[in-house]
Amino acid sequence: MREREIIVAELTQAWQELVRGFAHYLPRLVEMLIVAFIGWMIAYFLKLLVRSILGMKKFSKLSESAGTTHFLHQMALPTAPELVSRFVFWVAWLGFILLGVSILPIVALQDYVSRFFFFLPRLFVALLILFFGSLVAGFFSRAALLAAVNANFRSSRLLSFAIRVMVSIFAISMAFEVLGVAEQTVLVFFGAVFGAIMLGLALAFGLGGKDLAREFLERKLSSSKKEEKEDELSPL
Amino acid sequence: MPLKREASWYKDAIIYQAHVRAFNDSNGDGIGDFQGLAQRLDYVQDLGVSAIWLMPFFPSPLRDDGYDISDYKSVNPTYGNLDDFKKFLAIAHDRGIRVIIEMVLNHTSDQHPWFQESRSSRDNPKRDWYVWSDVDTKYRGTRIIFLDTEMSNWAWDPISKSYYWHRFFSHQPDLNYDNPQVREEMWNVMKFWLDLGIDGFRLDAVPYLIEREGTNCENLPETHTIIRDLRKRIDEEFPGTMLLAEANQWPADLRQYFGNGDEFHMAFHFPLMPRMFMGLRLEDRKPITEILQQTPEIPPSCQWCLFLRNHDELTLEMVTDIERDYMYDIYARDKSMRLNLGIRRRLAPLLDNDRRRIEVMNGMLMSLPGTPIIYYGDEIGMGDNINLGDRNGVRTPMQWSGGWNGGFSAADPESLYSPPILNPVYGYPAVNVLSQKRTEHSLLSWMKHLIQTRRSTHVFGSGSIEFLHPANHRVLAYVRQLEKETVLVVNNLSSAAQAVELDLRRYKGNILIEMFGRNIFPRIGDLPYLLTMGPYQFYWFRLRRI
Amino acid sequence: MAEETLLSDDFLRQLINVGEVDILVGLPTHNNAQTIEPVLRAIQAGILKCFPRERAVIINADGGSHDGTPDLVTGASIDDVRNVLKIHTLRTLHAITTQYAHTPDPALALRTILAAADLLRARACVVISPTSTTIDPDWLQRLARPVYNDGFDLVSPLYRRQKFEGILMSNLLYPMTRAVYGYRIHEPFASEFAVSGHLVSDFLNSEIWNEEWVRVGTEVSLTVMALTGKYRTCQSFLGTKAHVDRSSSDLVVAMRRTVGTLFASLDRNRPLWSTINDSKSVPLVGTPSETEEPEPERIDRKRLWEMFATGVRELEPVFRTILSSTTLAELQRIAALELTEFQYPAGSWATTVYEFAASYHNAVISRDHILQALVPLYRGRMLTFLLENRSSSGKDGDKMEENVEALCGEFERLKPHLLKLWADRR
Repeated sequence: MREREIIVAELTQAWQELVRGFAHYLPRLVEMLIVAFIGWMIAYFLKLLVRSILGMKKFSKLSESAGTTHFLHQMALPTAPELVSRFVFWVAWLGFILLGVSILPIVALQDYVSRFFFFLPRLFVALLILFFGSLVAGFFSRAALLAAVNANFRSSRLLSFAIRVMVSIFAISMAFEVLGVAEQTVLVFFGAVFGAIMLGLALAFGLGGKDLAREFLERKLSSSKKEEKEDELSPL
Repeated sequence: MPLKREASWYKDAIIYQAHVRAFNDSNGDGIGDFQGLAQRLDYVQDLGVSAIWLMPFFPSPLRDDGYDISDYKSVNPTYGNLDDFKKFLAIAHDRGIRVIIEMVLNHTSDQHPWFQESRSSRDNPKRDWYVWSDVDTKYRGTRIIFLDTEMSNWAWDPISKSYYWHRFFSHQPDLNYDNPQVREEMWNVMKFWLDLGIDGFRLDAVPYLIEREGTNCENLPETHTIIRDLRKRIDEEFPGTMLLAEANQWPADLRQYFGNGDEFHMAFHFPLMPRMFMGLRLEDRKPITEILQQTPEIPPSCQWCLFLRNHDELTLEMVTDIERDYMYDIYARDKSMRLNLGIRRRLAPLLDNDRRRIEVMNGMLMSLPGTPIIYYGDEIGMGDNINLGDRNGVRTPMQWSGGWNGGFSAADPESLYSPPILNPVYGYPAVNVLSQKRTEHSLLSWMKHLIQTRRSTHVFGSGSIEFLHPANHRVLAYVRQLEKETVLVVNNLSSAAQAVELDLRRYKGNILIEMFGRNIFPRIGDLPYLLTMGPYQFYWFRLRRI
Repeated sequence: MAEETLLSDDFLRQLINVGEVDILVGLPTHNNAQTIEPVLRAIQAGILKCFPRERAVIINADGGSHDGTPDLVTGASIDDVRNVLKIHTLRTLHAITTQYAHTPDPALALRTILAAADLLRARACVVISPTSTTIDPDWLQRLARPVYNDGFDLVSPLYRRQKFEGILMSNLLYPMTRAVYGYRIHEPFASEFAVSGHLVSDFLNSEIWNEEWVRVGTEVSLTVMALTGKYRTCQSFLGTKAHVDRSSSDLVVAMRRTVGTLFASLDRNRPLWSTINDSKSVPLVGTPSETEEPEPERIDRKRLWEMFATGVRELEPVFRTILSSTTLAELQRIAALELTEFQYPAGSWATTVYEFAASYHNAVISRDHILQALVPLYRGRMLTFLLENRSSSGKDGDKMEENVEALCGEFERLKPHLLKLWADRR
């Protein structure tokens, strides 16, 4: 009987504690949920705001002239305003959720939250570097491919691939450096495999001097083949 | 009473060209005369000119406006008598006006007693005074001047059954200057008038005196010999007498008539005149500078004679075909305005009666190197009558007032030698001396001012000329210089305002004094001198180093 | 305003001195001392012969020549300073020069000339290429008269050329311009042409200067503006066109200046061209003269074939973003053909070009890359054109004309495809 009572009492106590604990937690949980909900609303509002601002003609023109539109198209991504507004939404909402979580008196979690907030900007920058790195790699590799094909260069695909890899690795190493992960290894690896000269060459072929480089290539190749008469015709 | 014989009076002269017949009628017969002309010398003096040039006033059948002379030593009775001429001459000299008369050396009228004798029989002593031939094929290389009326330079004489030579109309047979008797007789004629006291001759049609087979019968060396002989005699017996050549030739050919200063004193610059009109219409100085650059240097005692219009058509013989076509299209769209190779119109109608254009043209006339000639009536902007035949449209009566016959004659209007201009724009009620004298801004008053300014310095008559070549081709600019006196002339040939930069570095430090208003313009520095010019505006600046 | 920053003070001073003109002849140069003298003489003779009374000026826009080209031009002035020239003119004929940049830029040169024409209120502005050694004085008349006397706004030239010269013109620019804008203008990109002062000032004052493509391909833009606006256009037969020096005719550069500009012009003018579904002929002034053109040089067909095949193979990933899968498959089929049976049919070529134009419009990848990707395909079309017209000699050039005409027909027939692509991707 007594044991039963004890058990009941324990259970009751446990239940009561649970209830109390729950009652203790419940407002916070509700608070957290409210915060998360308000955060969602604010984030959604921010998203709409950003989208409408960026949707204005001026910005789309700016984006077009900066070339980002092309990049995004090529990556099969949504338009720049959409992308930015989504990003703003998620960052804002995630921030609010984490804010809500921090209200809960869970110490371990709070530590993680603070570390997350500490890590967030770095992650963001690294992602950005990777994103643009892939764009740049795509652009330059395509430029090299076209130039090589038009110059009747034999292994144009290889050249194009090499440039893509080089630029990508450069971007990845930069991203790792920002994240602070395996800095040394990446650096050494990069330095060893692709020297600065190679990079410079690639950039020269791709960037401002791409015409010059192509002309150089063309001249180099056409002078070696005297019988090529096709361009003797004026196209216009 | 002869005027003081300054050796080179003609270099600074301004000549007024008048026609006795058209100037003033004193006796009411409808034709001007010497007494009438003498009465109007006040006006000529007031205008400021220094000489008057009379068109032929000799007895004549008047089939070529007096250039067909039938008696060299008297006055056409309709103009008065020799006494009237002497009185006129005296009055003119009293007023300081020199008198230049016409002398037609090349030919006479077919009514002249010499020709009558010459044609009477083949062995008449005067037979050889004219150029006779049995065939009309001699001198084939000779051009015909009056293309519109003459087919050949030879005319058939039914009386002596042979051909006679004529460069102008067939009623004007050419004298034979190979005959010494002719040369002597013509000298006697000139001596006759020189004895009366005249100051100069305008010698008509000089290039044609001598004919030679195988040449174009113009400008032959023998012709020059005759002229040199005449000049020698004049210099010996009548020093200070001026000889003016009428020779419609290119400047290089004209140059010979100055010889080494021992032939003519002056010669008309025929090619310049159409190019002034052309330059104005093209708004481009090129035609003017081009012809003046082609004009050769002449001996220091000699002088060019410049004119805008005269009693003849505006001759287009001395222009290229493309220039002639242009001139016809611009200045004589109506075919009746054309005559021979020229345009028979007066100054004002040629320039659309545009006062600014008339002014800039007169401004150039007075400032380019040479002695200017003003054709009677052009100083008031008289019009013409293209319905009158030949060149009579520019020889209508002078318009003195808005009254009866324009103040020219008391005769019935129907009996005038020529109808006066009556149209509302150019007619004598609108354009006349009397009304223009009354206002300071009339063309006449402006012309007086211009003449006065021109006469205020010798630089225009005797100075050197140097063209400036501003990049703006619509501006004609030149510097006239005589000893220490320097005058800068700038003409805007365009109907629009222009900016022009003149390179005047040579005259650095001088200030410019505008000669009409005597206002001072900024000092010349190192930079190009910038002038802005209104439409058809011209400036005369005296350069002074102060 | 375009001309405000364009003209140097010195050039402006020269223009003030020239003043208002009736006819302006523009001469864009860069190191043309070898050929410019006969061209200048022909221009002068043309002015003297056909426009002796008109006020005329020759304006040289030089891109930094080192061989004294500008001096040769100014030395040809006919004015009272240089009357050593034994040429008789009524007027001063100015020849002035300006250096618009230190490096040649054809579009900027043309813009300088047009700005000068606008400032001087020229009624007719004629542009002549300094390399046209076959020019004769009548060219000036043939170009300028329709503008000056007959009220046309653009006079486009027609040339007699070496057989296979101008294939880009006959196989792309002409058919596409014709199909899109509805005018059969054979030389939408010309080195010689005349424009009216009216068109010049409208062109300079229009807002299109803000767009990059106008700055690159000014000639084509001018033609497009004349075709799309209410301007009167005609063609004038000039004569034999000299073989153009190839050092200046790099295929990619040529593509950018012409095809790129034509593609870009579609963006702005869609409301207009989408409603046009046939083509009108453009009035022809003058009669083609029967001049024998020289036989062209031998062409290495095998190389063309190889470059096409390589291009299709290597650029496949790029084409995937530009072309539809059916067109790409067709290209791959053609690339597999032997040289002897090679044929890039007109229909496939027209479809290819239209899909490129649409992709250019949508900027699926860098626009410049799209143009570069078209180059190997153009080589394939060029090869087909050479093979098709191999037998036709100068006398029966009709066959070649028939082939071009058939190609134009394909472009016109397939225009709905272009419209559909346009609608789809946006």
